[in-house]
Amino acid sequence: MSGTRETAGRSVQRPDFMAKLTGAAQYTVDIGMPGMAHAKILRSDRAHARIVSIDRTAALDAPGVVGVITAADLGGLFPRFGHIVPDHSILAEEKVRYYGEPVAIVVAQSAWAAADALELVRVTYADLPDVLDVAAALAPHAPLVHEHTYGGTADESFRVLTGAEQERASSNLAHEVVLEWGDPDAALAGAATVHTTSVTFPMLYAYAMEPYNAVASYTGDLHVISTAQHPFMVRDDLARVFGLPLSKVRVTSPFVGGGYGSKSYTKVEPLAAIASWAVGRPVKLVLDVEESIYTTRVDSAEVTMTTGVDSSGRILARVADMVMDSGAYADNSPLVLAKAVNRCFGPYRVPNLRVRGRSVYTNTSPASSYRGFGAPQGNLAGETNLDQIAERIGMDPKEIRLRNVVGPGEELLPGKRGLDADLAADLEMLVDSLRGARSEDPHTGIGFGMSVSDAGAFPVSTAQVRVHVDGSVTALSGSTEMGQGSRSVLGQIVAEELGVEHSRVTVLQSDTGTTPYERTTGASRTTVLVGLAIQRACADARAKLREMAAELLGTPIEAITDVAGGVRTDEGKELGFADIVRGWFGSNAGEVTGVGLVRRDGVTQKMPPFWEVGVSGVEVRVDVETGVVDVEQLVTVADVGFAINPAAVEAQDLGAATQGLGAALFEELVYDGAQLANANVVDYRVPRMSDVPRRIDLMLAERGDGIGPYGAKGSGEGALNPIGAATLAAVARAVGRWPDRLPLTPERVWRLSCEVAPSQPAHTAPDYDGSTADAISDGTQT
Amino acid sequence: MLPAFALIRPRSLSEALSAISDDDVPYSGGTELLLAMRAGLQRPRALVDLKAVPELRRIALLDGGAEGTELRIGATTTHDELARDAVVRDSFPMLARVAAGVGNARVRAQGTVGGNLCFAEPRSDLVPALAALDASVVLIGPGGSRRVPVAEFILGMYWTVREPDELMVEVRVPVRPVRAHYVNLRITERPSVGVAIRVDADGRCRLVIGSVGEQPLVLDYDGIHEVDPDAVSAAVEPVPDLTGAEDYKRHLVAVMIRRAMAELETGKKQ
Repeated sequence: MSGTRETAGRSVQRPDFMAKLTGAAQYTVDIGMPGMAHAKILRSDRAHARIVSIDRTAALDAPGVVGVITAADLGGLFPRFGHIVPDHSILAEEKVRYYGEPVAIVVAQSAWAAADALELVRVTYADLPDVLDVAAALAPHAPLVHEHTYGGTADESFRVLTGAEQERASSNLAHEVVLEWGDPDAALAGAATVHTTSVTFPMLYAYAMEPYNAVASYTGDLHVISTAQHPFMVRDDLARVFGLPLSKVRVTSPFVGGGYGSKSYTKVEPLAAIASWAVGRPVKLVLDVEESIYTTRVDSAEVTMTTGVDSSGRILARVADMVMDSGAYADNSPLVLAKAVNRCFGPYRVPNLRVRGRSVYTNTSPASSYRGFGAPQGNLAGETNLDQIAERIGMDPKEIRLRNVVGPGEELLPGKRGLDADLAADLEMLVDSLRGARSEDPHTGIGFGMSVSDAGAFPVSTAQVRVHVDGSVTALSGSTEMGQGSRSVLGQIVAEELGVEHSRVTVLQSDTGTTPYERTTGASRTTVLVGLAIQRACADARAKLREMAAELLGTPIEAITDVAGGVRTDEGKELGFADIVRGWFGSNAGEVTGVGLVRRDGVTQKMPPFWEVGVSGVEVRVDVETGVVDVEQLVTVADVGFAINPAAVEAQDLGAATQGLGAALFEELVYDGAQLANANVVDYRVPRMSDVPRRIDLMLAERGDGIGPYGAKGSGEGALNPIGAATLAAVARAVGRWPDRLPLTPERVWRLSCEVAPSQPAHTAPDYDGSTADAISDGTQT
Repeated sequence: MLPAFALIRPRSLSEALSAISDDDVPYSGGTELLLAMRAGLQRPRALVDLKAVPELRRIALLDGGAEGTELRIGATTTHDELARDAVVRDSFPMLARVAAGVGNARVRAQGTVGGNLCFAEPRSDLVPALAALDASVVLIGPGGSRRVPVAEFILGMYWTVREPDELMVEVRVPVRPVRAHYVNLRITERPSVGVAIRVDADGRCRLVIGSVGEQPLVLDYDGIHEVDPDAVSAAVEPVPDLTGAEDYKRHLVAVMIRRAMAELETGKKQ
């Protein structure tokens, strides 16, 4: 597809490659400010307790201590944050709601002095009854994590998610979403086969390599340098805390050491900012991994999905109920829930549907966004349920999907954009690859699944392109480079649009003080939405350059056309960008700025801006004696419309799928009472290099069907979403019994193998072969 | 975060010996100690860095007279050094393989044999491997030196016979014609179960089960045929953790013993 294009469609090397390889790249932790002090956070050592008193006398007398800040010191400030529900106290007020919650900030000359003085702050608590899981939180007369509700935010796009203005809370329900059409009860009553599946998605930590950290300087204006994925959203939260105009709050995100959703929205920035405000000096705050885990985790979920099909395997109705453990504060969980609700039933025609989702407050660390945004939780139930139905009615799991999948252009959600992908074709590619190289080992199994996500989030993007006097170009975007390679891709779009060498383009990003507004860097949106804004900025710059050229040459504007790196007149005279800028300003000085704006209009009128596709599958080998699962093959199909940087797309898919394998096989945060038992990388098992699948097939499906530049759609999350269900099905087919939760740790898989009755063949159906409808025993049938 | 501490860098064994005490603790790779300090579990006044003590960092064959030839592994030898050493690879291939598989690349580059033994983290690959090979450790203190078999050196979790004023100088492994093998199952960063087996030329056999209990279980047999994996599985005292409950770990012990024995016989990974 790159035939007529110079730069777009090529796997150019990322411009930050050498800096990151050599360690020269600057991250927040590398940054200091003159006169900077260091903060450490005193955290709650209990799950739920009233704060009776805080005595900081001894800490204030300790060597090097500059200040000790508690919620009582925040008079005049808005003491909470939260972009959907502003329920999140910067420092615990009146009571603590989870083990690890910030109670006080100690600021000192050095981080060591601050750490030493933490032990000298004496907090007296009065314990309150706690609710450590959703069952306890939803029980009648359960203690309340929040005694009252909070008014919603001013952000129009979140208003639909926020409830009533401040009033007394009656339960621990943080948020509830119901999606319903048709008459699912009647449809289920008339179905040939009805099947229910209950699955548990584990509590996770996204495990960005770089823990949360920030440097803040309050001098009347506020400048915060942090690990924020969405610096503009953080700016808005901070402006509200201090009552400052947006122009007086600057949030800068240098390189970010991995986000995976966990660095979206506000995290430690208010702590650093109020510390600087209180002590009158710049303050640096660096969390360790354990503190980061207690700052933001992933919502766990219990999902029950019932599907009714007719005798030919067509879906008649789906009914789902999901409960998410969202922890002590809402953060982004209401949005994660809303997405899980509309993503759980899959890319299928469902004529009758009812999904009820509840996000529940508990006295545990707060949950928020995670790569896939509710899709990993929901998809696990939806796809597993479909696989089990296929098995019950003796149908190939590929066939049941092909029978029900939504076709190109077809509406999945009423009133939303029709599907901009050909999932049936993607699925054929996937299954051909998976079934093409099966091993003979009896203890192997394959599993695969599909998902689509309403991606791109709310389409507000702006970009600027500055054409310099030497014809080189600087592009500005408020989006964040966090390892995904947007700096390459955005530069490639500039190079393509203006016809300049990619090496002569520099992309600067993620500084609310100097780069133009970008709503978020999430939902796989940057390539599409910032890409469109960049294209428009290039077009705007070109229009200005044509006018300047016409003026310079005394030619009518109509006689000027664009060529690579410049313009040409009807007579064939060419001027490069450098000639135009220099000529028009009359000196070796000046530049031309193009501006590109994207809003809900034109190609981005219809929501979502694009559907992000996930089509993934695995072959696993199970060591039935130990329960260890090895992934023999991973297959992904990147249905991205057009791959502006194919290597980057493949890397995103491999990374996303591997992260999905983490949740499928290894990762789970385990609470032991009020505290986590494994808040460290030694006991919380993330995928290692040796876990990377033995064979990897990353395929591209480029059909030019996206609204982004050159037909592109986003990627980065999709490949993760079906991995949980695919792995679960593969293991089920390898051991002969369906698991009902992730991760499939060796102990769980061993127990599952032990449950297969001796009379049953331990393994009969590595995959569908047309004759093994009842091969796998299933404890969840109804 | 690492608390403040003094750093003492002795250049000789005698300097090192006079520097250590209850609060001034031996330090080399730091792969366990620094984690414990970061977690606030230990707060020594000083770290006595043994890396520049030449007597502690060498691997050599020693003719021990009546004791026979022994391999001496200096206490500050890193796992990587052990894994790459030509003598070790030649005479103790099992030990070289175990060292090459410890933890991760960073741990192997920094972590040391002496540190691994003295810290006595129960989930260790090295301890059962050395115990199977009938290795001893040499400790030196104000009262002179003493030699303790590895199997007796570990008293429990994070607990050894070493006194705070004693240094581990080296590990000594008898050089004998033996066949030996080690298998483990690593679910998280540390092994959940490790089984080492050694068979002597005369057929006598030692089996060591590591990582499952608070300390390794060492069993000697007159012949490998006497090994009953199910009986051993019943005899271990597993410590349940996030990688498995007691029954699963017992089951794993039997499975891994069978695999170790089969791999020892066939030379092939099961």
